[in-house]
Amino acid sequence: MTQPSWKDNRALFLISTGALAWLVPGAGHYALNEKRRGLVIFAFVVLTFLVGLYVGSFGVIDPVHARPWYAAQVMNSPVVMLLGRVGAGDHYRVFGRANEIGQIYTSIAGLLNLLCIVNAVYTAHLRSVGESKA
Amino acid sequence: MMAFVATVLGSFTTPMRIGTDPVSMLWLLPLVVSIAVVYKSTKVYRIDPWPFVKESAVLLGSIIVFIVVAAAILYGLTWIVTVQLPSLLDKSAF
Repeated sequence: MTQPSWKDNRALFLISTGALAWLVPGAGHYALNEKRRGLVIFAFVVLTFLVGLYVGSFGVIDPVHARPWYAAQVMNSPVVMLLGRVGAGDHYRVFGRANEIGQIYTSIAGLLNLLCIVNAVYTAHLRSVGESKA
Repeated sequence: MMAFVATVLGSFTTPMRIGTDPVSMLWLLPLVVSIAVVYKSTKVYRIDPWPFVKESAVLLGSIIVFIVVAAAILYGLTWIVTVQLPSLLDKSAF
């Protein structure tokens, strides 16, 4: 039985870093020993998302009537998919300025987390390339 | 404890009342702070508290200045199209 090559391990490393960063905002950087960076990202992404959710209620996460916003919101964490099931019903429909601000906050939080996911994967890539050269 | 958790969760089920007055535009400020901090946290080499706060504040200021300039230009264009242009057309020979 052959050992997995360094390329396979590196791909797994990059994928797991990206998945971790998506699962919990900032966790990708935290796992790469960038603890301060991870904590700052976690605090601000989660706070922005929660402010949006507080302003507009669960209804701002609506995978049925607001699909483009939902695509950005789901970048926060897979937990948003669970919240989407709550928000998809008609119990929490929200309209007006509160809906706009809530959607903008939660979606921007998701896009910021996407930036952080890409950054964490890139940092992991640089580390693995550096280690393979050493 | 359960009552507290229920109250916190309950506060996420009702949207806030936000008017459509110009003051509601201030809601962009916390968002811009978040954008500036998260963006800078991915860009700086090391996160040391004071330089990091300084760099984030510079980015925050730049974004706000850009928004104000863009708003002023758009307001000026709107003023020209809705006030100046109709009065010019009224005076023309056509």
